[in-house]
Order: sequence, then C-alpha cells, then structure tokens
Amino acid sequence: MDEKSSQLWTKLSAALKPQVSADTFKRWFSAVKLTGATADEVTLLVPNNIYQFWIESNHMPALQSAISSVLGGPRAVKFVCAVDTSAGSDAADPEPGISARVQAAAERANKTPGLNPRNTFESFVVGPNNEIAHAASLAVAQSPAKTYNPLFIYGGVGLGKTHLMQAIGQYLGARGKSTRVMYLSSELFINEFIDAIQHNNLVKFRKRYRQADLLLIDDIHFLGGKERSQEEFFHTFNTLFDGHKQIVLSSDRPASEIANLEHRLVSRFEWGLTAELQPPDVETRMAILRKKAHTLKIKLRDEIFDFLATRIKTNVRRLEGALMRVASFASLSGKELTHEVVEHLLKDILQEEARRAVTIDQIQRRVAEHFDVRLADMTSKRRPANIAFPRQIAMYLARELTKASLNEIGEAFGGRDHGTVLHACKLVKKRMKEQDKIRQTISFIDSALQR
Amino acid sequence: MKFSVTKEKLLECLQQVQNVVSTRTTLPILSNVLLQTNGSEVRLTTTDLDVGVRGSFEAQIEKEGATTLPARRLFTIIRELPSSEIQFDVDGKNAASIRSGQSFFKILGLPEEEFPPLPKFDDSKVVTIRQKDLRDGLRKTSYAISTDETRYVLNGVLFSFKDNKLTLVATDGRRLAMLDIDLEFPRSHEADIIVPTKAVTELQRLLTDDGDVRVSVGGSQIAFDLNNSLLVSKLIEGNYPNYRQVIPGEMKERVTLERETFLNSLRRVSLLASDKSNSIKLNFSKNNIDITANTPEVGEAKESLPVAYKGREFSIAFNPEFLMAPLRNLAEDEIFLDLIDEMSPGVIKIQSPFLYVLMPMRISS
Repeated sequence: MDEKSSQLWTKLSAALKPQVSADTFKRWFSAVKLTGATADEVTLLVPNNIYQFWIESNHMPALQSAISSVLGGPRAVKFVCAVDTSAGSDAADPEPGISARVQAAAERANKTPGLNPRNTFESFVVGPNNEIAHAASLAVAQSPAKTYNPLFIYGGVGLGKTHLMQAIGQYLGARGKSTRVMYLSSELFINEFIDAIQHNNLVKFRKRYRQADLLLIDDIHFLGGKERSQEEFFHTFNTLFDGHKQIVLSSDRPASEIANLEHRLVSRFEWGLTAELQPPDVETRMAILRKKAHTLKIKLRDEIFDFLATRIKTNVRRLEGALMRVASFASLSGKELTHEVVEHLLKDILQEEARRAVTIDQIQRRVAEHFDVRLADMTSKRRPANIAFPRQIAMYLARELTKASLNEIGEAFGGRDHGTVLHACKLVKKRMKEQDKIRQTISFIDSALQR
Repeated sequence: MKFSVTKEKLLECLQQVQNVVSTRTTLPILSNVLLQTNGSEVRLTTTDLDVGVRGSFEAQIEKEGATTLPARRLFTIIRELPSSEIQFDVDGKNAASIRSGQSFFKILGLPEEEFPPLPKFDDSKVVTIRQKDLRDGLRKTSYAISTDETRYVLNGVLFSFKDNKLTLVATDGRRLAMLDIDLEFPRSHEADIIVPTKAVTELQRLLTDDGDVRVSVGGSQIAFDLNNSLLVSKLIEGNYPNYRQVIPGEMKERVTLERETFLNSLRRVSLLASDKSNSIKLNFSKNNIDITANTPEVGEAKESLPVAYKGREFSIAFNPEFLMAPLRNLAEDEIFLDLIDEMSPGVIKIQSPFLYVLMPMRISS
C-alpha cells in the first residue's frame, strides 16, 4: 500500500508541477507525503502546520485540479501534521516512526467518543428555520459557559439537534487541548447510573460527569419519569453550572412539555437559552440537498433536486436518504433519471411523507393556536370547557389524521386513557352534526394541517 | 472611600481600561471596574478573565478604600459631567455618590472582594522594551492576524525572543508580516509566545512614544507593565507555525515605490475591483507599472505609475486590501516591492528589518 501511495503522489506531483511555480512546488509540495487515498478523501502528511495553512489558503485550486486529472474526480483533502515544530526552527523533514505519532494525533482529535466527525458547523446548512439555534450553538462553542448556559435545543425528528450538539463538541474538542468534552444520550446516562447503583460505584460515576468542561446530553426527554436518574442529573447539573461549565441539552419538545419531569429540572433547563429547530423551508431543503450531493460527489439535474426538496418536507434525514437512493440508482443502473423513475424509486417514502405529514404534536399546536389556549393545556389536567373542548377536538383530529392508536393518542395528551379519547371523538362527531360552526372550524383546522 | 479628582484625569484613565469590559458576560462583576486607593493614586482595573488592564490617576484622597462600579455606566456619566471637579464618596454598601457642580449621581456597585484578582507574576522572565519600538512593531504587524477561529494559533501575534532579538510575526495563511526589534536579554529568556488579538489591540491603546515597557512572561500568562498602567493577558496555547518557511528565497525583480503615491493609486483603482474576484493587477513594463482592476458588467479602472524598472515585462495580481494594509501602517516614505514571477509571493520591505509576504492571486486570462 505504501508503494501505491507513493506512486500516486508521483503522478499527482507531475500534474501539479505545471500549475505552480518551481519555487512553490519545491517549497511546499516536495516535503509532502501521501499516506492514503479513498474514494472520497486523500490524506496528505505534511511536516508541520504551516504547510497545511499555506496550502489550504493558497494552493487548493491547483491541488484539486491535479487530483481531478489523476483520480478522475474531486476528493476531500485531509492534512495530517507530522510534528508540531515550534516557530522559528528550521523545517524538519519527516522522520521515520512518524506514522505512530500521526495516528496518536488523529486519535486525539477524535477523543470524545460518540461524536461523528461529519457533524460540524461547516456541514450544517443554516436556514430561517434553524438560524437562532445555529447562532446560539456557535456562540456557545466560541465562548463556552459565558453566553448561554445551559443551551436547550429542541425540535422534531431529523432536524439537526444532534448535529448541532456534536458540532459544539467537535469545535471545542479540536480547539483546546484541555477541554474535556462529554457527549452522551440521556439513555446512556440512565444506563450508566443504573450500572453504578448495581455495582455500588456511584462515586466514580459522579466524578466522571462532574469533571467535564462541556456536557452534551442528547434526547434529554427520556429522563421523563425516571425519578432517581433525574435527581442524579439535577446534582450533576448544579455542580457543573456552579463551576461555570457549559451544558447543552437537546429534546424533541420544550422542557415544560416533557412529561413527568420534575419542576426544578424544568426551570433549570429554561434558565439559559432555549432554541427551537423547525422543519426547513423549501429553499433550505434545496441547500441541504446540494451540500450533501457535493460532499458525496453526486451530480444530479436541478429538477431532481427540486422534486426531492418539494416532496419531502418533514425530515432532513429522510431527505438525505432519498438523495442517496436516487443517486445510487443512477450510478448502478446508468439509466436516465426521469420524474417517473424517481417517483417509483421513492414510492414508499413519498407515501409515508403524505401520510405522516401530520403528527399529533402539529395537531396540538395548531388547535392550541386556533383556540388561543396554551400548548401545555393540551396535556394538562385542567378541564374548564374553554380548554377541554379544544383538547377534545385535537384528540378527534389525531384519531382522524394519524395512524396512532387510542392509547398512543391518550398518552400524547398528558397520559389520558383510551376511553377518554374515544369519548372525545364521539362527542366531537356529535357536536359537528349539531352545529355548523363547529364543523366549519374543524374542517378549517383539518385543511390547514393537511397543507 | 472618598476622593476628588479632575474630570480629565478620570476620563483618560477610564478610556484606557473600559474597552476590556465585555458587553455580554455571565458574571456581573466582570462588567464592573475596580476602584482602589493606593497612596495618592486611585487605581482602576477591568478584566474579562482573558485580558485585564489596570490604570491609575492622581487624586486627592480623603478616605481610603475600594469598590467596584459598572464600567460603561460610570464612563458615560463622567463624560457628561458639567464641571471639571468631581467628588467621589462611596459608602459601606458600595453605593457611590458622585458630585460635580450642580449634578449629583448615585450608582450602586458590588463589593471589591468579588472582583477576580489579576494574576501574580512572581517567578517570571522579565524583558524591557522601549514603548516606541513595541508600538511601532505591533502597528506594522497586527493587521495580518488571522480572524479564522479554527486556526486559533494564528489569532494573535507571535513574540519570539531569540538571539537578542524580539521578532513579531502575524499571518493569516495568505500573507505574513514580520518585524525584528533589537533587544538585550539573557539566553535563558528565549521563548516563543503567542499574544491574543484582544491583548494586542488593548496594548496598542496603552503604548506611548516615551518610556519603557516591562514584559513579564510566567506560565501561560504575560504582563506588560507601562509607566502607570498594566496589561495582563492569557497566552494562546499551542505552537506557532514555522513562519520562516513562507519567506521566499532569491528575488528576481525589485521596484522602489513612494509609499503614499502607491497607496493612493491602489486605493483609487481598487474602487473597481469586483467583490467576487477582488483582485487588482500590476502590469510591469519598462519604467512603468500599470495598476488595473475591472468588474464585469460594471467597468474598469487603470492608473499608470512611473517607476525605475528595467526587468522583464509581466503581470501579477493581488488582493487590494492585503496590498494596502501594510502601506497604511508603515511610516516610511519609500518601500521596496520584491517579486519573482506572477505565481510566486511578493515581498514588501523597508530599510529597517521588516518583511511582508503576500501571495498573488491567480490571473485568469
């Protein structure tokens, strides 16, 4: 493999030489070694970071065109610095035994387990739907524990909560050697807690979490209903907060709406900044598709992008999946991609999209908005008529528009049982028959939701 | 604490220290300025935990003490006061009464104990530099600092103490400014340290043309002790890249240019450099440089500059902002522009040990 790499580098060098001046080549590229080439990435070993800075800033177009002409397509270029030579010392040639050090360096960069290196701020597409969350995350990454603490990010499935959190982790992990970043899901937190109780090593458990400089907890809503875990987390939270350590949490709903979460935790979660992620608008979806296509080196016609962006609305993950499917079909079959072909390929996704377009959450929001009641009232135990009836309408709509079972609907409305839901549906139906005004209102909300 | 002072003295000192105070901070105490009596002086201190500045002014002190007051608010009040005589009276609960002429203000502060102390420099290496030299050196280099936060080691100026020289370096990957200051110090004091941008900016505000500055380096902190003010800053951790690698070897062509004439021509022509490519072209021919810029669908600009030039004819393109930055900050009348060819970096030099390396842009013709 070594021989292959060095052969490849010889070829690249030959393509590169005519494009840069002789002095430039000698100065910047003669000491470079190619250590690996995959289908989408070329790894270059440079003697120290000035090579990386200077080549990145000045010679990337030349390097990319050389890569394209030799390898037949663009590749991402990754630089690995052999040694951190200090300023002023003469450029040291890479010595033998370096590869071990390089590996160590690469491992260090990746030291926080669970962080996906693809989830960075650079790869995040910003649109009006996630502007605030992105800006807040970036501010947190740039000056942790100074601006917004804790940062609470919430939004639906596949809208980028995890991406933003991991981006914060990577940003800080890459920047300060001494920053201890901990990233985990609340489920893992709970499991480790249970494990710690079982094996009676709570002290070790506490020490582990309370020493972090940056604690990132994903899907915090799973803490709902787990009382001991909540208590443990409460103390961890306080310790970190008092020590001016940054805490970032993500959830699929606002803190106040997480079922069975203690009030002292809710109020703490709302202490810093709460940022919502909303489904992307069509322009943002276009941008996401293009960015993804660019990183995956997929080339598609504009109308295909357009089709995907307009038809798949709710979920970024699904959008990317559809893109992958279309692209792999195109490259495997070599057939022309027409509307019909794409539609056929994505049949199941599009159907799902049409059906699942309405979620109970959306229904609750819409109904709450229409009747001007608080969203929290949808799940609360309060039952004066001006709250109870909208809630019953929402249950009815949930029954009609989603595939959720009576039990699921009851659960989503603050843990009511299926009988309550059934009663609500019957009642609403009856009143729709009796009063035109109610029927009109409901069909208005219905059509607004379907749109 | 109780003292009286003239408005001018207090305002000048506040101006020195107030820029460090950050507008958004989670610790309320950091938006305050610490006031302490010290002999016949009052000392003002501000910090954002990364950079701290202390200044002092002469005052008539009636009662000693210390307190902290909101810095921005204090500054705006003092600036607006009608009379030149100001009396300060701070009670035991950190409420300050300010009297001046017919005006009376009362502002509430926080106790001094909450204010984070500036780090101590007991066991540190000390070097003395003439303020004028350092001010001049920072002015000629600091504009090249990178603002790209992912390359954090470049977000500051390198202070390299070596071989009885202090070398200041700043680069952002496309250009590099470097300057040497002759200094005497023992070999044991040789070190490479990176001073962050904010500290450099604040330091430039404090430096004057007279006197010396004592630079102490200890651990990961640096202190600049001026006549009656002090700046303390954290250093950027990490190794500054090997900048010598960037400096081109043998140069082929040299032109001598009048700095101001050249700068003015560039400024005029750059008005038509397009936002997109943002380049300005220098076309060298016998005894002449044509400076040109054009933006498709907008127009073009051209200016001829007679120079003594006998080399071959060629063109080279630069980012106009990057070319003008050193010209604005140098003070010399004459500068030298050294070039190799259209693809190699250009170098701006002056009579004294200074160097500015600038990468050319690709000419698409």
